[in-house]
Amino acid sequence: MKLRVISYFFFFVISSLALMGAGKYLYAPTPIDFKIPPGFPKPPTNIFTKNKLTEEGFQLGKKLFYDGRLSKDGEVSCASCHQQFAAFATYDHDLSHGVNNSFSTRNAPALINLAWMKEWHWGGGINHLEVQPLFPLSAENEMGEKLDTVMIKIKKDSAYRRMFREAFGSGEISSERMLKALAQFTGSLVSADSKYDKVKRGEAKFILPEQKGYEIFKARCNTCHKEPLFTDNSYRNNGITLNRFKDVGRQGITLQNSDSLKFKVPTLRNSALTLPYMHDGRFTFLDKVLDHYTNLDTTLVNLDPALQKKIVLTFKEKQQLLLFLYTLTDTTFTKNKRFAP
Amino acid sequence: MNKFILFLFCIISAASSFGQKAIAKKKSFISVQFDHTANGKSIVLNDSTYTTAFGEKYKLSKLKYYISNLTFITGKKVKPNKNVSLINAAGDQTIKVEKPLLPTTGIEFWVGVDSILNCSGAQSGALDPLNDMFWTWNTGYVMFKLEGTADSSNADLQRLEQHIGGYKGEFKTMRKVFIPIDKKYFTDKKRGADKIVINVNLDNYWNGKNKIRISEQPMITTIGNAAKDAAENLEGMFSVKNTD
Repeated sequence: MKLRVISYFFFFVISSLALMGAGKYLYAPTPIDFKIPPGFPKPPTNIFTKNKLTEEGFQLGKKLFYDGRLSKDGEVSCASCHQQFAAFATYDHDLSHGVNNSFSTRNAPALINLAWMKEWHWGGGINHLEVQPLFPLSAENEMGEKLDTVMIKIKKDSAYRRMFREAFGSGEISSERMLKALAQFTGSLVSADSKYDKVKRGEAKFILPEQKGYEIFKARCNTCHKEPLFTDNSYRNNGITLNRFKDVGRQGITLQNSDSLKFKVPTLRNSALTLPYMHDGRFTFLDKVLDHYTNLDTTLVNLDPALQKKIVLTFKEKQQLLLFLYTLTDTTFTKNKRFAP
Repeated sequence: MNKFILFLFCIISAASSFGQKAIAKKKSFISVQFDHTANGKSIVLNDSTYTTAFGEKYKLSKLKYYISNLTFITGKKVKPNKNVSLINAAGDQTIKVEKPLLPTTGIEFWVGVDSILNCSGAQSGALDPLNDMFWTWNTGYVMFKLEGTADSSNADLQRLEQHIGGYKGEFKTMRKVFIPIDKKYFTDKKRGADKIVINVNLDNYWNGKNKIRISEQPMITTIGNAAKDAAENLEGMFSVKNTD
């Protein structure tokens, strides 16, 4: 008798718990393990610690990245200036097009291995990957839109409401969630499968001129464009002159005179695709960049110490260096369907 | 059979402990209200004209600032209140905090938000960039924002914009404020206040440790010396209003 009472009670408790559970939405995002490619260092800060990388978050971030509704005229998306085939830079444009036929004042940087950076933009003004989109989104010569208007637009879309729920557990669409999702996508843009990487992994071999170019690279370029990221993410004055926009680079962020005309060292990965070069796209092709360094006046004020020793390269050596740089092109990255809309 | 009873016991005890949490001892709260004044009058946005100590006339359209880590100082060390509030002359002007149970010597808070919160990526609530207190090109929160127009402003449309921000090194602008409070303020039953009013006197923004002349600097919209000088005056703006 006692046993029966207890089992009835037990049954009642279990079934009521089950009913309570059924009333709630089952939130089960698929976690993604962010893999550090072989030979790569650990990222300086883990951008996915507080923003758990999930398949649902990544997919939401991708949808936002390719959505023109983030701009004032509905036409300019993040991807307008960050094109996958150009390793997420703007192909063959010194400056990029914003809304109302406007132009940016800087060359769109390629979005490559952003998870290994501590600061973003040419002057390093952005201190966290999640807040980076707020700049292009609101800049009048980029996407020109107000954040509150963006929120209104995406809240209207039932697909977004579903995707926000899948990624974050409820359909609430907030700027925090939108920015976190975008960071899940952009932080996942890892390029580590170029011929160079294959050589390093023992899966391919450099041809002789590539190998010679690699030797030159290691002797003269590796200080700033440090392997395997091909940047040390520092700010350096490489001797380029003040441009028509009076862009002083890092100095504009820190207000220190010693930072005048310092810009972030860009990665050389996929550099064959990210033409033109420098913060304002002043050099059309890679050979022009090499010419800049060999013709550099090493007595310039504030010139980076690493460049104060004259770089001398013969025409042949330049060709070899270029061939090496071409081995940094990663078509697995530029053709990865996972990063495509 | 014994196992069943044990299991049941577990469920019941778990359920009762949940219940206890729900009726945890009721804390009493106090509202800290920020009242804004200039020239001895309460501030009305988009209306009255005020005058700085240097005879410069101005009108206000916006007045917003962050108050963080607001804590009552008692003899006993208490866990600092880590909350951040955005005080807005056109919106929320009170912060609810737990009432101190011990005699209080004063109230302490930061005007602005600390460097960790300036480097923490996308955030919500008071720190949502939608609140228009966030610099997008040189990451950081605007700690204190005052906008309006002034006759002596040489900026376009005689604009007056004082966006005080910067969280790093020499350009830090967040400021700690301590205001002493009568010991008996909370313990004396007759004055068992559930509200404390802080007067925020804008006159001291212009005329504090540093003398700020609108004609010289009508627009402060980046980090730098101008923002730093203005931040030096923030602390002197706050005092406890002598109310009931």
